[in-house]
Amino acid sequence: MAAITPYTYIQCPCSDSSTLGRSSDTNSSRADGADDDDDRTFDPRAPRSNYSLYPLEYLLYCEDCHQIRCPRCVAEEIVTYYCPNCLFEVPSSNLKSEGNRCTRSCFQCPICIGPLAVTSVETKPDPSLLAAPDNTAAPQSGPYALTCSYCNWSSTEVGIKFDKPNGIHAQLSKLRNGGTARLTAKERKERRRDPSYRSSAATEQGDGRSGSDEKLDLETQFANLKSFYQSQLADPNASDGGLAALSDLGFSSPTSLSRIMSIYTGGSLHDKKAKLRVGAIREALEVDEGLQLADLDESAAIAQLHSEGHDGTASTSRLSDQPPNFGEAHLHGRSRFVSELRPIPYLLRTKRSKRCPVCRHIISKPEAKVQTTRFRIRLVAGSYIPSIAIRPLSLSSGSGTSASGSAGIPGALLEPLKPAHYLLTFTNPIFESIKVTLGAPAKTPGRFASKVTVLCPEFEIDANTDVWDEALKDPSGAGELRDRERERERRRHKGEEGGNVSNNNNQLEVGKIWERGRNWVSIVVEVVPAWLRLEHGTEEQRLREDEDLLEIPMFVRVEWEAEAVGDEVGAVVGRDKEAREKRELAYWCVLGLGRIRH
Amino acid sequence: MSAPTGSAPLPHRTVANIRSPPGAGHHQSGPSTPIRHIPSNFGSPSSLRADEEILIIEIGTRKLQVGFSGDPAPRGCVWFCPDQQRRVGDFRDWQTDYRYDWRSAAAGGLWGRDHELWQYDVRGVNLGLVGDKIERALGEAFTKYLLIDSRPRRMVWVLPSALPIPVLSAALDSVFSRFQSPTISLLSSPLALAVGAGVRSALVIDLGWSETVVTSVYEYREVDSKRSIRGGRMLVEHTHKLLAKNLPETQGGPDGKDKYVVSFEECSDITTRMVWCKPRPRSASGQPSSDALATVQEQDEGELEDRPVSRRTGSVTVPIRSWLSPTSLELPFDALAEPCEDAFFESQYSPTSFDDHELPLHLLVYRSLLQLPVDVRALCMSRIIFTGGCSNVLGLRGRIFDEVSHLIQERGWDPVRGKGVDQLRCNPKLRKRDARQAGDGPTGVMSPPGEGEEQDGVWHDAANMIPEIDFIDEQLQRATDRRPRVQGTLRPIESLGAWSGASLVTHLKALAIATIDREGWLQHGAAGASKPSDADYKTQRQSLGPGGLMRGSAAGSAWTLGVWGAT
Ligand SMILES: [Zn+2]
Ligand SMILES: [Zn+2]
Ligand SMILES: [Zn+2]
Ligand SMILES: [Zn+2]
Repeated sequence: MAAITPYTYIQCPCSDSSTLGRSSDTNSSRADGADDDDDRTFDPRAPRSNYSLYPLEYLLYCEDCHQIRCPRCVAEEIVTYYCPNCLFEVPSSNLKSEGNRCTRSCFQCPICIGPLAVTSVETKPDPSLLAAPDNTAAPQSGPYALTCSYCNWSSTEVGIKFDKPNGIHAQLSKLRNGGTARLTAKERKERRRDPSYRSSAATEQGDGRSGSDEKLDLETQFANLKSFYQSQLADPNASDGGLAALSDLGFSSPTSLSRIMSIYTGGSLHDKKAKLRVGAIREALEVDEGLQLADLDESAAIAQLHSEGHDGTASTSRLSDQPPNFGEAHLHGRSRFVSELRPIPYLLRTKRSKRCPVCRHIISKPEAKVQTTRFRIRLVAGSYIPSIAIRPLSLSSGSGTSASGSAGIPGALLEPLKPAHYLLTFTNPIFESIKVTLGAPAKTPGRFASKVTVLCPEFEIDANTDVWDEALKDPSGAGELRDRERERERRRHKGEEGGNVSNNNNQLEVGKIWERGRNWVSIVVEVVPAWLRLEHGTEEQRLREDEDLLEIPMFVRVEWEAEAVGDEVGAVVGRDKEAREKRELAYWCVLGLGRIRH
Repeated sequence: MSAPTGSAPLPHRTVANIRSPPGAGHHQSGPSTPIRHIPSNFGSPSSLRADEEILIIEIGTRKLQVGFSGDPAPRGCVWFCPDQQRRVGDFRDWQTDYRYDWRSAAAGGLWGRDHELWQYDVRGVNLGLVGDKIERALGEAFTKYLLIDSRPRRMVWVLPSALPIPVLSAALDSVFSRFQSPTISLLSSPLALAVGAGVRSALVIDLGWSETVVTSVYEYREVDSKRSIRGGRMLVEHTHKLLAKNLPETQGGPDGKDKYVVSFEECSDITTRMVWCKPRPRSASGQPSSDALATVQEQDEGELEDRPVSRRTGSVTVPIRSWLSPTSLELPFDALAEPCEDAFFESQYSPTSFDDHELPLHLLVYRSLLQLPVDVRALCMSRIIFTGGCSNVLGLRGRIFDEVSHLIQERGWDPVRGKGVDQLRCNPKLRKRDARQAGDGPTGVMSPPGEGEEQDGVWHDAANMIPEIDFIDEQLQRATDRRPRVQGTLRPIESLGAWSGASLVTHLKALAIATIDREGWLQHGAAGASKPSDADYKTQRQSLGPGGLMRGSAAGSAWTLGVWGAT
């Protein structure tokens, strides 16, 4: 396994107590029986943790609620719908009617996902025209095809050609693979009346009605069924039109929940009213009403499978990229062969603005213009909560370490059972000084417990005052460097609890911070990595993926005082007489230090 | 068409106001103005709800499908897979040198399990994780395929009817709390399939992933359901067996005991692409496979004429990448039908050697039909609907159908064609016999009370809860429906599928659907359930069939989610 650079993940508080650590968790069979009542140390390796952890860059922050907001706990609104290929904006009213894909001429290759271009079947594709939407400069003479310039796939391979170089989407929706046109409902009816079209091999098992063996495509069967049901429900015999069948069942109490459960399987249609209404519908009896007999003879497809072999079949992932195909008759033989793959119209995308779900304030809003990736508003959590940088610290056994301690080789493997040190640098982004309290379990959770000691779990970090401001205030006009130095000096002399800097003589001292700067503090964490020994006789003979990663769960509590703002929702803890508010923010995070040698 | 202007902070959705006046909120085909959201209203709770656009969500063990009510097909499908279970910002799947460490996952018992949303045996299920998986998959589906914002929307879930309550409960918890849906309606997939086929009664053969379930639907009611663990998972396992057998023997794993030599992903892919099912052997003595295949080839001889000769050799080449080193296997085409044979039919054993829950599929279907009351059977057997992932295995549906019709020919249950039905109806003797069969037929339907349900947390015998007389409800015969119904012959029909059926049901408001109100759920749902010690343990390991929760509530007002309700 490749070495990693240390990282930090943060757990959004929204996934706390209410959902995590709930009773349903204790049922987990894979959880060791012991941790049933464990006092909820966050286990970064538990499968559920993956759903609540985010890198800091993914988190937003609500200034009014003073709370972290993650992608799970924001309310989203759509600013723009657009096609990622032609970058055209799509009005929201089109979505219902025309679906979620670009209806211009934007298609992806079913083989390699590359963009397809409209080319004349006769001429070679012109590279300058590739991917040009609604290709105005398309070749002069038809017929046309969609072709891929990367893998040379062409829609002619599935027998599809177009008469016109534009409006490809509309043309394609009327074509079946092989190029045969889909029948409209009207054509279908006319054709059925014409005896010459009638299949000679009429089914023997059928109900004998004409056309009962006719194959409908999915969209047509749906339409037929829908109009059939509608006509049934509109039957005057069904007094209420049958439409209100569920209206009289009020569900709000647990008792009626049980009724729900039985209705779910159709169990309580004993209900007189419901029975009468449902009774109003008879079953569909012919193709026009949506009845479709199944043709179970798949010998032709089996023969094709035999002759084309593995290469002729489409992989599961290619098939899953295929848009739903309404046009083909065989429901069960959905595309299977490469020769049945159709061009994929681009899925539309959205630009979204995000609101705090509690106070409804906007915390992220992109520019509406499709072409730009800028934001009008974006309150990233990184501007509000301290960031944590991690680097290995090697304390050479001798005396000659530099003031900051020499950095270990980044990404090197951790040796089992050999103590290692890491420097955590907390940087305060806000304009108030903050108090940070850390909590980490002495042993990491999981099958292999590494020992963890946070040497200084409590400290203060100075405000992120603008360096320039401070320089202006200072008549001597010192720059940042001198400023910082002076600050550090002041701190050292003050010698407050937790404010002590321990690296004066390069010794690790419990309760002392390692180094401090204008708005940052470094502390040291000592770890004794576990020995990743697999005992014989255990069920699992291997390490699970990432089980060799040394990850430390750490609870971070940040407290600060800020100017009180009027009445608002949020984590207001208390007020003092000067209208300063005490605020706090607490969350779990995960520090990934590195991999343990095994 | 605007949302009701309630003053409550979150609108309390009773079922009564789900029903909007005809036309409201439901786009009929033809030109219609889309309902526009009025921005000025945004921020007031009543307008936070989205327009009357109902989401239909079909949830299965391996994938979920989403779309809008009234659409013929879902707009998107999301498969459950390991990369979906990673942390946000973990992009290792995009790194070219990264490969999923399936061997260690397999060693941890996860071969394939990490591609499942849930397991029916709830003892092994991390319920919270089920909720997380659903939430993430839905979120992805909504963003990628439906392009919807996060305003609360009503949902209809299409579910297998045997879904255990704890699993359903976890899913509801997650979605009610994360997506704020005012209501979630539940529809069982066999019912939706029947509607999607245009029939009121049907025999639904769901060739699913975890198991195969045969459900008899009579007059829009599930009256019986039988299951066998022979499903997609077993098929993939047998494909793996086939591949492993043909690969050179290797020392896998630290001590050479690795159970799996090829990754699940690859086996699953090969199964989907290459595994097929032989037709039923023509005669008991004849060589089944080559015989049948020869026929097939003969038919196609004309078309195949101009193909390269090499393609007509009897074998196919299957590339395998996840083995110790990438290789390719040359397999006889016939061999690729073996997994199907072993997984679904296993012809070398006699029927008596099978446990009920592992019946070969044709026996499962036959016994399902056998124990139905004759009227119900006559209707169901003429409306056979195949569904589920394995119905895509080429030849499988036809094979099951032929095997069943052969069984019927061979063993019969009495003439059911034409006049036979009437005869049977009038002949009290025959009828009695039939009832007996229904009662204590070969599968032992009437197992001692409680046993069926408790076996593995899955509720098994829907029909047993319903008194038999109830089946034949003449009142249900619609007076105006004088047209003859096809019955008594075996006949397969196509359904649009459960999703599309549900889309019809919801769009037309044609059936009563079970609807759960968010407020009610949050008050009385998982959190409101009483502690297990307070209630009768007998009621606990059940799923949602008739009598499932009902019994719990009959015992008093307390109902419980069983051991899963403990806090
Ligand atoms: Zn969150
Ligand atoms: Zn486009
Ligand atoms: Zn391509
Ligand atoms: Zn807020």
